[in-house]
Amino acid sequence: MSTVDEQAKVPDSPAGAETGAPPAEAADESSGSFIFLFFIIGFFAAAILGWVVFPKVLYSTQYQPIDFSHAEHVEMVDEGCESCHYLREDGSFSGVPTLAECIDCHEEINGDSEDERIFYEEYVAKDREVPWLVYSRQPDCVFFSHAAHIVGAEMECATCHGDIGESDSLKPYQENRITGYSRDIWGYNIAGFKRNTWDRMKMDDCSDCHQEAGGVAHSSSVQTQRGACFVCHK
Amino acid sequence: MTSAQTHTENGAQTDGKPVAHGADNGHLHKYGMVIDLDKCTGCGACMVACMSENNVPFRDDETDKLTSITWMRVYKLTNGKPYPDNDVCYLPRPCQHCEGHAGHSPCVSVCPATATDYSTETGIVSQIYTRCFGCRYCMAACPYHARYFNWWDPVWPDGMEKYLSPNVSPRMRGVVEKCNFCFQRYQLAKDKVYVDGESTVSEEAYQTACTQACPAGAITFGDLNNPEHLVHQLAQPDDHHHGHPRNPNAFRLLERLGTNTKVYYVSSREWVRRAGDNYLPDEQTGGGGH
Amino acid sequence: MKIDRRCFLSFAIGGAAGTALSPLPWKLTDDSSIWSQMWPWTPVPPDGESTYDHSTCTLCPGGCGITVRSIDGRAIKIEGRDGHPVNQGGICPLGLAGLQLLYGPTRVKAPLKRVGERGAGKWQRISWESAVAEIAETLAGLRSSGQAHTVAAISSRNRGTVAALMERFLTALGSPNFLRMPTMEDAQELGLYINQGILGSVGYDFENSDFVLSFGAGLIDGWGAPVRMFLAKSAWQDAGAKVVQIESRFSNTAAKADQWVNIRPGSEADLALGIAHVLVAEELYDTSFVGRHTADFDAFQAALADYTPDAVATTTGVSVETIAALAKAFAEAASPVAVYGRGKGQVPGSLKEVLAVTALNALVGNINQPGGMWAIPEGEGMPWPDIETDAVAAEGLQKPRIDGAGTGKFPNSRYLLNRLPAVLAEGSGYGLKALFIEDANPLYSLPDTVAMQAAFAQIPTIVSFASHMDETAAFADYILPNHVYLERYEDVVVTAGLNTRTIGLAQPIMAPLYNTQHVGDTLIQLAQAMDEPVAAAFPWEDYQTCLEESLGDNWDTLEEEGVWTDESFAADPEAGFETTSGDFEFVGDLGADVLTAATAAAEGDATAYPLLLVPYDIMRLVSSRVGAPPFMIKTVPDTILKGQDILVEINPQTAQAAGLADGKGASLETPRGRARVKVHLSEGIQPGVIAMARGLGHTAFDKYLADKGVNVNSLMGAVIDPVSGYDAVWGIRAKLMRA
Repeated sequence: MSTVDEQAKVPDSPAGAETGAPPAEAADESSGSFIFLFFIIGFFAAAILGWVVFPKVLYSTQYQPIDFSHAEHVEMVDEGCESCHYLREDGSFSGVPTLAECIDCHEEINGDSEDERIFYEEYVAKDREVPWLVYSRQPDCVFFSHAAHIVGAEMECATCHGDIGESDSLKPYQENRITGYSRDIWGYNIAGFKRNTWDRMKMDDCSDCHQEAGGVAHSSSVQTQRGACFVCHK
Repeated sequence: MTSAQTHTENGAQTDGKPVAHGADNGHLHKYGMVIDLDKCTGCGACMVACMSENNVPFRDDETDKLTSITWMRVYKLTNGKPYPDNDVCYLPRPCQHCEGHAGHSPCVSVCPATATDYSTETGIVSQIYTRCFGCRYCMAACPYHARYFNWWDPVWPDGMEKYLSPNVSPRMRGVVEKCNFCFQRYQLAKDKVYVDGESTVSEEAYQTACTQACPAGAITFGDLNNPEHLVHQLAQPDDHHHGHPRNPNAFRLLERLGTNTKVYYVSSREWVRRAGDNYLPDEQTGGGGH
Repeated sequence: MKIDRRCFLSFAIGGAAGTALSPLPWKLTDDSSIWSQMWPWTPVPPDGESTYDHSTCTLCPGGCGITVRSIDGRAIKIEGRDGHPVNQGGICPLGLAGLQLLYGPTRVKAPLKRVGERGAGKWQRISWESAVAEIAETLAGLRSSGQAHTVAAISSRNRGTVAALMERFLTALGSPNFLRMPTMEDAQELGLYINQGILGSVGYDFENSDFVLSFGAGLIDGWGAPVRMFLAKSAWQDAGAKVVQIESRFSNTAAKADQWVNIRPGSEADLALGIAHVLVAEELYDTSFVGRHTADFDAFQAALADYTPDAVATTTGVSVETIAALAKAFAEAASPVAVYGRGKGQVPGSLKEVLAVTALNALVGNINQPGGMWAIPEGEGMPWPDIETDAVAAEGLQKPRIDGAGTGKFPNSRYLLNRLPAVLAEGSGYGLKALFIEDANPLYSLPDTVAMQAAFAQIPTIVSFASHMDETAAFADYILPNHVYLERYEDVVVTAGLNTRTIGLAQPIMAPLYNTQHVGDTLIQLAQAMDEPVAAAFPWEDYQTCLEESLGDNWDTLEEEGVWTDESFAADPEAGFETTSGDFEFVGDLGADVLTAATAAAEGDATAYPLLLVPYDIMRLVSSRVGAPPFMIKTVPDTILKGQDILVEINPQTAQAAGLADGKGASLETPRGRARVKVHLSEGIQPGVIAMARGLGHTAFDKYLADKGVNVNSLMGAVIDPVSGYDAVWGIRAKLMRA
């Protein structure tokens, strides 16, 4: 921690260096560890800030208007996920069901759950669409083809969406305060590490899988020799 | 090297891996357009069809044509002769989707952001707005003025944003945009191919908005690689000479720059064909392709 | 232990290291780049289920079929409807931009009542009930004071249920004053009546013609049903048919024609008669048709005496050789057809011209023949019960029409709206106390906007049914906004030069966006708010009931197919004619005088105004009731509009004489007005002629359209044809000075 100037003084006053003042040295030593302590404090404070506080500040937590149970519904339908989330005839994907689709079964209250009562009174009766918060919503520049993945690549829903289909309850929706997108896109690990395929859905994650899949569509870019941009962008 | 060889090379990268599945894999398209300038009446329907299909913004004053964003623009050519021998021809100009040499089109070669790219699957030059950082190098490189810069954020009068299409992402200030052969329609057509279990996108399933709208039937769109498609029959591209048209009435704009474009023009008038490139006074048209 | 500067530095460095090893900087960088790529104020159009619905476009008389793409019920794109009999999937720029009219900022969002001065733009929202009650009270007052006939209505059309309801409303009140906006159809219909004794419209079997001789008709500049004409033009090219365009300006139609005949403006009738002269003199005409099917050939031949090629060459500037060659080519073609109507055909034009052009078709026997000119008889009226008029109504209906049509000087003319300013200014008629305006913008689209506005200013009550705040609506006392065509049902009876009998159905694509009401419903409510005889004439619960009942058996077809075409209809060349003679009559009772009379000259003194101002039409602008939407204005070239300035087209010779250079400002003056313009030098226009595009110079509508350029109608006056009473204006004398 000494400056060049301080070091330069040493040869100029050898006597002072040899006979000099041990207290000063001791002070230096204690100051050294002390300084290191500050380094540690700074380091850990920043690390805690970055790893623990930052994610809490970055994301706001919102709750779904109705605590929907996928598990309960999957039991009652015949075709699994595709009973409600299906490919339309024109090849587009229906996504989250509309109120009209819900009403097909919920024209009146079927059970005794509090959530169904809220759903009926607040939405069915008032003919209002449910403002669901969509965990997997991608930016507007993304064109994601469910048809290509479900039909073309014969992928399972869970590969990207995880086990949401087995959940009894909808987890809180965490919205990135800067981008406005769901935390599920970046992933819950703030460092971006993932263990499961569905933990993250950034462009790199798409790209990794496309690289593995190969094929013309995944190597047609002249710029990158990978998938051309217009495969998944619009 | 011909474009066909390029494709083989790219295809070879997939050796040993399971070739993916589904729509159009293995099909190397080269989407292109043939515009009959004798039929074009200059009505401007293609321009409006394009604007309404592609969420193209508009401003209070659109008379400064340098800043007016029109992916498809109809130019008026004249033969330069004095009254009353003056003649006029209209020339609709979308992005020419240059293949250049092995996909190195003028704009793609210079983009420092990988925001514009050439796809060997479709032959379409793409533009990813979110990737573009607005250096406008591509605009300088494009010989056709087909690229436009968003100097301002788009503003739709209150309520008018309701007609915006979800299939095309509205652009923001500071990025370049251009015609992409209504690529969203290809994406949607491919989705349909998947659910219908067909093997490839058919000619009628993928047509651009301008082609569909043209009331004179002057625009034809399709796969230049596919001899069954009308564009192939009209332009008769010669693959051994960078797609040079064998139809004697067909020409491409500034063909001798080697841009190897995919928009062909047809005209029975010699002066119109001459207007498509720079010729010496005694030089004949129709000798391009190199 | 001492906390010094070093400790602080150490802390900061530790903090930096800790930060660098945390995800914070990297995540923040990523997030802020995403944020900057997708500004929150850039709209994100919501996705959903895509649906396609068919309807009929009503923005021009063409009646094209459209297909509207919607996302979750939100209309996002208009396309041409494949396989539609009129447009076969094609569509024009205006049709494509229709959604900008639907969602546009100039929509009238609720019934309005004027509170400030007329035209000052001060309005108060009122309920439909009070609007209807107030207007019904005004009308009842007029009826009770014996002034029922002082109520008039202007509409762009007289066919279909809405126009019929309007006319019926006037009849029930006791007024004969239903006025149709003038177009070339006026003169064509009159010509058809004189020639063939038929009430109906003129159609052309263009698809089967092999030689088209167009007297200034903007065949691909918006004439007739524009998309059908584009298709026909491409078909002519494929089939090798010849097109000759006779016009003083090298329009798009001229550019696409096989031959451009450069004619002195306004002398088209003379050229037609010159060609006829050659056909007759050289016996090139169809003697069989003329001999068997015409009644007054001798009178016609006598009239041709004045139109020798030499004389016509002097009048028209077209050489004797060209006249002879045109006559020869026209006679030699298998299915030649001569066409009438300048530009988009928005001015009726002179009767002489329509008779002269039709005579050519008769001379080659191509009347009601394949590839020729067809008579399309008007369909039967509405299957509605007769109106039981009371004494008040009967008295009102006895009165002559305010515009003088159908009586006195103009016995066979039906609507003479163009005479209204003169009649009201003179005070010769009985004046108007109330005016209804539906589907029309007369204060913009008729010549002499100043005189028209002065005439309107004399009318105490003006009720507009406009969906948008156009010039006429802005000058009204009440606006009872109609739904936009994409929000309503309506039968669209298509004439527009079609050689078929076609009805399209406009169907609602979306629920109405605002507090608007179908004009049919408003009329029914107005009638029902009045006394028994008027109310009884409108027994329908609502417009929808009336529409379904009126269309009868066709309703099911229309609802299913969206369009109905009378399959049984085809012109029958052997059917004979319905004139008193039973034959085709070239001039009928009018005698040869109608053809020998001098052609209507342009207003103004040639010395004071050495140039001629001639309006022209292009597909990229709209000059009718509709204001061009922003997308169309965007397509207008900068040789027509630059900034706020309109550019007029002049020949370099004209420019040199006036000391003007390309793009320079100039002052344009006519006997009717003065405007600041810029000049665009063009080699495609005759020296001495100034061409100005129609469709600019709006004072109403939004900032994308208003105050841009000049409305050519503000520089021109109506020229009344002495025989028909129709407006025969084709230009006006003008001068151009350096500004």
